[in-house]
This record gives sequence, structure tokens and C-alpha cells, in this order.
Amino acid sequence: MKTNNTLKGVSILSGIAIFLSFFVNYVSPAGIALIGQWDESQGAIRAKTKAEKVFDESEIKDVNIGKAVFDRQIAVFIDARSVEDYKDGHIKGAVSLPVGEFDMKIDEFLNKYPPDRPIVTYCSGRTCDDSHRLAEMLTAMGYLHVSIMIDGYPEWQKEGFPIE
Amino acid sequence: MNRFLNNPHVELTVRWLIGMLFVYASFHKIAAPSGFAKIIYGYGLFPNISVNLIAIIVPFIELTAGTALITGVYPKSAALIINGLTVSFILAISANLIRGHEFDCGCFSGKSATPEPAWLTLLRDIGILGMGVFVYRYPRFRYFCLLQTETFSRISHSDQEAAVTASKGELLP
Repeated sequence: MKTNNTLKGVSILSGIAIFLSFFVNYVSPAGIALIGQWDESQGAIRAKTKAEKVFDESEIKDVNIGKAVFDRQIAVFIDARSVEDYKDGHIKGAVSLPVGEFDMKIDEFLNKYPPDRPIVTYCSGRTCDDSHRLAEMLTAMGYLHVSIMIDGYPEWQKEGFPIE
Repeated sequence: MNRFLNNPHVELTVRWLIGMLFVYASFHKIAAPSGFAKIIYGYGLFPNISVNLIAIIVPFIELTAGTALITGVYPKSAALIINGLTVSFILAISANLIRGHEFDCGCFSGKSATPEPAWLTLLRDIGILGMGVFVYRYPRFRYFCLLQTETFSRISHSDQEAAVTASKGELLP
């Protein structure tokens, strides 16, 4: 009898939890898709929140295309990693703008680059989403052409493309 | 020791402590499920298809069971759920410690703190499990419970003690 009561409690509490979880996930703006994108061969891994759906089209999935953009010398490359990582090595000519220091550095950035300047963000590859968050923040600031090079610095370096 | 473990004030303190701990732990996961999903993915133990579902459901199990422990709604069941979760955490962390799997997503930009070492988390979880097992096994009437399903003679702890002392007294010559 005692065990039955305990199991009954477990089912009731779990039931409430499961119901609440799906309900809150459905209504919350921070909610995520029921199945995320966790396959690295398909692109940058992420849970797929409601807000970032739009970024699918902004991804540069091939580092060679990133290089082609780089060669045209129109876009500015932005390093979303920490300042230390940036100092250790970055794509040639890239500007450092870590997500954690965005508020501090954005004013200077806005003065330097007009909103129609094409931007390519990158971080440490497909398991890192700083470049996505940075792209989101820059778009919110009014930048019109923001792309994300999802393979990031490691692949760029591996291909032997220009670094400094 | 037994006297200490049977003390309803001790039970209440421990129950509230783990209750609050789990409610607190659930907040930032609920606020940012995508970040939690990434941590789960980082463990490398779960099939890709289940990662988001775990990230959606687990924080609410923590929240519900934690709240149930604090308010005393099915406290024994809530403790069982909490213990189940803690055992899963311990297994997941141990599995990764044993195979030396470390996940560095390179997400910690700027001044973000480095994560605590896995063995420390493991140690803490074992402590929490100990407390959870104590709350689960507590045999007497619990204080401040809205819905307690176990049947007890509803007499206070001091009355129980007095009864025990009295019965012992009767046996003395």
C-alpha cells in the first residue's frame, strides 16, 4: 500500500512536470524545437530556438565560400571568440568583438562600419554558437548583411588560408 | 545517530535544502533551454534525437519535485524522483570521467567563468544523493506537509519520545 502511494505520487508529479515542460516550451520565446540540430555534418550544432530560425539562410556552410567572400575584400570578418583566442591567432584583418563584451565595444564598431557593410562572423567551429549570437546581436543593431561562417577559425587555419 | 536521523526538524531542514537546491538549479535551465541542450549534447551519451526532449523535460522534473519537497506534497515520491535524477547525473558524470571525455565547446567568451571540475560536481551529487536517500527513507510523520500519503499516528516527535521512554520505564524493575 505504501509503495503504491509512493508510485502514485511519482506518476502525478512527473505528469505535472511533463505537461508544464511542453506547455512552457511552447509559449516561451526561449523555447526550443522538439528535435535539435545535433549533426555536425549538417551545419553548426544547436537546439534551434524560435528566435534563430532565420539564421539558417545566413550560414556559410563551406569554408571555401568563406574564402571567396574574403578574397572580394568587401566584407569585414568579425571574431566572436574571446580576446585571448583572438590574440593567439585570427583570420587576417578580422576584428575582435567577443559576445561577452558586445555592449562595451558596439558603439565604436557602429562608428567604424556602416549598416550596409557586409559582415561575416565566426568562432571556433560547429560546436560553438557565439558567431550565431553575435550575428543575431548585429542584426538587431541594424546591420543588413550578416553571415556566419560556421566552420570558424580552426577549419580556416587547417585550409591554410590567411591568418595573422 | 538514530535519534538525530529520526528528528523531524532534521528531516524538514534537509528536505527544504534539497528542495530549494533543485528549484534553484532548474531556473537557469528553464530560462535558457538551448544552452542546457548544448550541455546535454556535450556529454556525448544521448542520441541526437533525444537531446532537446531531455533539455525540455528535465528542468521541469527538477522544479516540480523540488517544489513538492518544499511544500510537502508527496514528499516520499518527490524524494524518489530527486534521487533518480541525482543517480542519473552521477552515472553521466562518472561515465565521462572514466572515458576521459571532456567537452569544450569554446563557448566561454570574455570573462565567463570556467566550469567547475567534474570530480567536484560528482562529490557534490553524492552528498545530495545521501540527503535524498535520508528524506526518502525517513519513517515518521513529517512536519509542514500539505499532502502526506503515508499513514502515521499523528503525534508529535516529543510525544513519541515520551511514549518510548515511558514504555522503557515500565520494563524497569
